[in-house]
Amino acid sequence: MGLFNSTVLDVIIGLVFVYLLLSILCTAANEWVAAITKRRGKMLEKGIHQLLEKQPTKPNASPDAFWTAFYEHPLLTSIKHDKNHPTYISPRTFAAIVTDLLTAAKPGVVKYEDLETGAKDLPEGNVKKSVLALVQRSNEQLETAQNAIEGWFNDAMDRVTGWYKRRTQIWTLVIALALTLFANADTIHIGRQLWTDPVLRAAVVEEAKVRAQKPRPTVSVEYKDEDDPTNPTVTRNEGNQLSDRERDLLGQMLGWHGSFRENLGWSTLLGWLLTVLALSMGAPFWFDLLNKFMNVRFAGKSPDEASKKPEKQDAKGPRA
Amino acid sequence: MQPLKRFQVSLFVATLLLSPLVCRADITVALTKGFVKKYKDQATIPTTFRVDKHHNTPNPIGSGSEDGDVHIAGRDSVVKLPMVAEIINGKRENDTFKFLMQTTAGQAVPIVGVWRLWFEHPGSDDQIQGQTVPVPTNTNPDHIFEFHPVAQFGNFNCLDSFLPIADQSNEFRGYSADKAFGAYEQRPGTITETNTAIMITSNKAGYNYAEFEMRLTGNPKDVGDGYIVLANVYNAGAPANADPLTEEPRRMIFVKGSLPADKVATMKKGDKLHVLGIPRVNLNEVYAVASGLQGHEEYSEGGLPYEMIIVALLK
Repeated sequence: MGLFNSTVLDVIIGLVFVYLLLSILCTAANEWVAAITKRRGKMLEKGIHQLLEKQPTKPNASPDAFWTAFYEHPLLTSIKHDKNHPTYISPRTFAAIVTDLLTAAKPGVVKYEDLETGAKDLPEGNVKKSVLALVQRSNEQLETAQNAIEGWFNDAMDRVTGWYKRRTQIWTLVIALALTLFANADTIHIGRQLWTDPVLRAAVVEEAKVRAQKPRPTVSVEYKDEDDPTNPTVTRNEGNQLSDRERDLLGQMLGWHGSFRENLGWSTLLGWLLTVLALSMGAPFWFDLLNKFMNVRFAGKSPDEASKKPEKQDAKGPRA
Repeated sequence: MQPLKRFQVSLFVATLLLSPLVCRADITVALTKGFVKKYKDQATIPTTFRVDKHHNTPNPIGSGSEDGDVHIAGRDSVVKLPMVAEIINGKRENDTFKFLMQTTAGQAVPIVGVWRLWFEHPGSDDQIQGQTVPVPTNTNPDHIFEFHPVAQFGNFNCLDSFLPIADQSNEFRGYSADKAFGAYEQRPGTITETNTAIMITSNKAGYNYAEFEMRLTGNPKDVGDGYIVLANVYNAGAPANADPLTEEPRRMIFVKGSLPADKVATMKKGDKLHVLGIPRVNLNEVYAVASGLQGHEEYSEGGLPYEMIIVALLK
């Protein structure tokens, strides 16, 4: 029997399959925690606060007066849901609110001079310094100045994205650790089970084949504001739920048998560590690897993989 | 041998044996995040370009590769990738062409060009931004990056070359929209990122020029050196109720000062335009995807994100 149709390959597929399922659970838990803690909205609020803080609107006003006025603007209150901070604000909306606040004293059509005067009339503060630095390089063009304000916001949002990703990575590790311990997901134990139990191994490989046919968990990008083709919205499609059969199989391979002390040993610790590290790689990584191993296992592309291509096409034409 | 030991050894051997089978063989271009962020929503890049090799006559005008372009191979100070610069409608650009013919090998010339990343002539080696670029030995070295079209070469403004590519007897027409966009929509592409770089992986592309009708789905946005607008794509003369050829509206890039840009600046959502365009990687979408990736994730679902550079209005 060759390697590509051997027990070794099936055990590898089984492990990758388990990692994928646990990663999907891990991601779902992470998204749930993010929703409960309103992580995305809070990060966005923090980023905007960094831009607009320490800017009074009048000489004796609070240092956060400009920031407060920003959040009381109807363009923003209209996108709030249940008083929660929105999870997305377009750069165009941000620039429009800042421009409106700075030119509030000038009714009618806003000109470049109104924006510059509005910024100059503010008491000393962060917004005054930043906006003046931006508009004074705008060749006295209102549109260019507003583009510069959008760029200022975009730079801040890049930092917010960085914070969010780092926070998510930390949470991923924490949740991976919790999940591993809760389910006693010991890589070495799982590998040993798959190695010694041919019935379990066969069932896992068959289910892995089904899983490999499902859509890959990943991100999607969409230009939601058709007047603003420079600000796409990124959405994560972690997507899939675990099927009953997958849950059953996980139940057979994971779980506590005996007391914590009976289970504890160097092998178990190493097994847990391997599992936590594997889960930190994310579901898309294991999905891709599973597909690659399945292709090898079934000697070339699986029929299901080949059939996926036309699935992406619709009546309008193909879409990769 | 103990069962566990045998399992561990087998696992190790299998991983070693299988690792080459799971590696990909496509070409990757690695870009700094700073570069992507700076130029993702710009039409052009100004730079200093060292002219190393160039055509002595423009390409003839006909079909396929007979596109009337002037190819110049060189190296630059901003992009720092293997590259060429292409002046379209070479026969119309007499003064620019004369100046080009007078340049000496390696001469530095300030240029402004529409940046274009596209896997048209990718060669077989990965390309990494910032690595020393070898001196080109012909007018079309392996490259993924190009300035195409050139908007200014030395002191010569080339924006008047953004016209239908034609001479007295021939007019170059691009591939039909259904053929070209059918291919663009299916281009494979994988995006990965590190803390400092974004990697785009794909393979050799075809269908350089496309003739199509674009119908605006939004209003044009001024991005400083050009306009960007989202539009659906149709075959030229398609009926009003035809289905678009792309699943989603695509970004169309116009260079300020060119005739197509002057036209689109006056247009609004719902208007349509018959144009000649060339595809390039949509770095805005690439950047967005990269910012949404987590850990060691790689993205390949949407294929290679692309947008169209509009080089001429067609009748």
